[in-house]
Amino acid sequence: MDIIVCIKRVPEVAEIDLQVDQTGKSIKEEGLVFGVNDWDNYAVEEAVRIKEKHGGKVTAITVGSAESEEVIRRALALGADEAVMVTDPQADGSDAYAIAKVLAAAIKEIPYDIILTGVLADDDGCAQVGVTLAELLGIPHATLVTAIEIEEKQVKIKRELEGGMEEELVVATPALFTIQSGINEPRYVSIMGIRKVAKKEVATRDLGTLGLSPNQVGPAGSFTTVERIFPPPVGEGAQILEGSSDEVATKVMDVFQKGGVI
Amino acid sequence: MDFLEKHELYACLQCGKCTGGCPVSLRAPLNIRSLMREVLMGGSPEVALDCPGLWDCTTCAICTLRCPRGLKPSEVIVGLRAELVEGGRVPKTIIDALEGTFKHGNPWGRARQKRIEWKGDTAVKTLSDEGEAEWLYFIGCAPSYDPRLQRIPRILCRILETAGIDFGSLGTKESCCGNEIRRMGETGLFEELREENTKNFNASGVKAILTTSPHCFNTFSTEYDLDGFKVLHYTQLLADLIKEGEITFSKEVNKKVVYHDPCFLGKQHEIFDPPREILKAIPGLELLEFDRCRERSLCCEGGGGRMWAEGAGEGERNSEVRVKDAHAMGAEIIATACPFCLLTLEDGAKTTGLEEEMPIREILELVAEAMGFDDV
Amino acid sequence: MAEILVLTEHRQGEMQEISLEMLAKGQQLAEQTKKELTAVLLGKGVASMADEVKRYCHHILVMEDDLLANFNSEPYQDVLSFLIKERKPSLVLMGHTAFGMDLAPPLATAAGIPLATDCYEIEVKGDAVIPYRQMYGGKMCAEVHFKEAPCHMITVRAGSFPAEGLKEINGAVEQVSFQFDKDYAYKKFLQYVEAAVGDVDITQADVLVAVGRGIGDSENLPMVEELAKLLGGVVACSRPVADKHWLPKERQVGTSGKTVKPKLYIAFGISGAFQHLAGMKNAATIIAVNKDPKAPIFSVAHYGIVDDLMKVVPSLVAKVRERKGA
Repeated sequence: MDIIVCIKRVPEVAEIDLQVDQTGKSIKEEGLVFGVNDWDNYAVEEAVRIKEKHGGKVTAITVGSAESEEVIRRALALGADEAVMVTDPQADGSDAYAIAKVLAAAIKEIPYDIILTGVLADDDGCAQVGVTLAELLGIPHATLVTAIEIEEKQVKIKRELEGGMEEELVVATPALFTIQSGINEPRYVSIMGIRKVAKKEVATRDLGTLGLSPNQVGPAGSFTTVERIFPPPVGEGAQILEGSSDEVATKVMDVFQKGGVI
Repeated sequence: MDFLEKHELYACLQCGKCTGGCPVSLRAPLNIRSLMREVLMGGSPEVALDCPGLWDCTTCAICTLRCPRGLKPSEVIVGLRAELVEGGRVPKTIIDALEGTFKHGNPWGRARQKRIEWKGDTAVKTLSDEGEAEWLYFIGCAPSYDPRLQRIPRILCRILETAGIDFGSLGTKESCCGNEIRRMGETGLFEELREENTKNFNASGVKAILTTSPHCFNTFSTEYDLDGFKVLHYTQLLADLIKEGEITFSKEVNKKVVYHDPCFLGKQHEIFDPPREILKAIPGLELLEFDRCRERSLCCEGGGGRMWAEGAGEGERNSEVRVKDAHAMGAEIIATACPFCLLTLEDGAKTTGLEEEMPIREILELVAEAMGFDDV
Repeated sequence: MAEILVLTEHRQGEMQEISLEMLAKGQQLAEQTKKELTAVLLGKGVASMADEVKRYCHHILVMEDDLLANFNSEPYQDVLSFLIKERKPSLVLMGHTAFGMDLAPPLATAAGIPLATDCYEIEVKGDAVIPYRQMYGGKMCAEVHFKEAPCHMITVRAGSFPAEGLKEINGAVEQVSFQFDKDYAYKKFLQYVEAAVGDVDITQADVLVAVGRGIGDSENLPMVEELAKLLGGVVACSRPVADKHWLPKERQVGTSGKTVKPKLYIAFGISGAFQHLAGMKNAATIIAVNKDPKAPIFSVAHYGIVDDLMKVVPSLVAKVRERKGA
């Protein structure tokens, strides 16, 4: 069972006051901490678990700046066997569709039975690259996958639906699955582990080596562009209760009382 | 060198002094003596990795201090944890602590930008961006982020200012000292933190480092290579400042206070007297002693990563024992000099229902009261 | 005349709320662009649903087939590709749901249609349709521009457009004539699995005390449970807490968990990811406690406390006890 897992390097934005940069189209990245997209981390773990159980090879692949090497090395340390990194400044400004084209081109040369991606990325939240990739490769897919069971030439999966429901499907391989968080408990990747794979080869590709022309990617090769970004408008919002912790607690009691709770 | 040689397991007499002193062996499935033997007989650390009590050890190091052969059983535990860390077989809460430290420089994974949140209105210069200073005050992760603890560094800053000490901090550049990280078995991450902090210490231009926490103090003094730096726990400096008359008290604290020795300050560094000298200098304060005090102090179970791992232990926690003992002897306050001890003892006060009767205070909070700092 | 196509969504014989929300927005867009609104309803035994939906659109295209009985992106994609080719809509709307996430990207890709996903607003400026979406977990909004094309596709975030304003149009039901040429054996629906129901049903509780990532550690749950107990409520959680298995999945509030409407909802340490907000924003009274004054939860809460939950919970517990004792 050969598995390809697609991962992305994203900024961690919890607790951070994000600022819009000069272009008005993206955020200021200065001072931000980057790491592997949370959903992708579950996908890498799932890939490695499948390999550990059924044998085969896991190839991690990413499209991004040179800094993306850190998430690729992390995937190797977690248990991926091979790594491919597509780096090309001409791919900057690509939308989900264009990124999927790049991944499809890179994957052409790699044998696989299944491809895993995260359901979505922490940054753009499109939930689009994985499924688009499946369509470009002409293989079936399922999104929001919460369980994978490998069978003969097919995979039995569960997908998450709304309202605490799930559905069970069987999908013939080769196939692509987008992995929902919580599907497993990703193992810890130690610094020693990352050091151990420091020398491991990461295959690098650019548009030229993938046989893509610049107008197939970036804004020219995209179906959508972000025109501007802006912080969410402040709605009516909550009435903020202020004061000492005792005063605040007293105010909350009034709310409780009004609501008939106490 | 293999694990057995590195930890000199062949030299173990199996005398059991280690387990005899262990503060968790009675309530957790951890027997360090037999664990040492299992590893020796098994010929590899692998045989001990499933021991359910591995994450119960608080690395208080009493076993190491008591060993007649000079072995370091507590380091065997750290070594076993390192094996688990490398294999990724780590409890989830520990993973969060390690990843939080790797990404954000603190085990709570809080944003680096917010590391100076504790300051409030306190003016502290940032070294070396805003000039140089004689002392570098290393705040520590818990006091930087934990709302219960944030007033501790604010108080210390005010005291230092009053005493005319020239000091600064690293601001948002300060990263976890790594003391607990190393003890959770993440050696690689510890090395990175040590490198980063050392670089920042060197760049700050200071020659002396002051810590809030005995844990930071411990690793800086014994596990960093800080030749040419003086490293002090705040109790040491404060005791001297009181002796020299640089700090004077204006109010009485008419309370019976029992002092709890933090393991990383007392047992491991024999800093028993400075905290007591500070407390005794506070007017009106009556200092009581636990039966188990100084080198025999009962560990609060907050060290060695236990802040991020519940452990497998059952029954009464040591912090609960401590609170009950203090209550029984008629103490009105338990004072300590460690952020972790403060938090775990407060938990113990809550779970024993003695929250009201038995307040837990950092020594600095009592000093602040005696100095008339009402608004810190 | 080009039309706006809305793919209605249903499961186990029930129309999903998102369908009506899209029809409401679709009506508005149709008016603004002077186009007709056409709904698509695919399934098996959906006649009564068709009667309901036709009230709100100019046309409803219905196809019934065993292959469409339960949602499967593959046959759905083939029918929709056919319809899009046939009818040349200028805009296709679909829910950003488990259904739309599976279907929209491959459909758009195969048909060469520009797609914007998870949009909370759609504006019309001149000839252009401009979708808005959120990024960075709701911390930024983005105005998205489509490449010029005869047709665009948008997946709509649940709860973005109120269904209340739906107008009666009373359109006509039209049957779709499409023949499947395969059995889609390579992707087969097996069954629905209901999430295990535990001893606590959060959808029935009047008071929910919900915890999020801010709880930090499962060790801190008991104090929250205590508060819930004092208030006669139960503890619920956001996705990260369920992912960490600190609380069982059936306690999770949000689009992938339960939708709740308690009298009182207290959110501790929940920043308010959209999928969570969608599950609880209709609570009668919402109190949010979060350290981050910019947390999106404060936009739906009625009362907010900007502070550490570790400080707030104990003070509330003490205060409730005091009141109850008095």
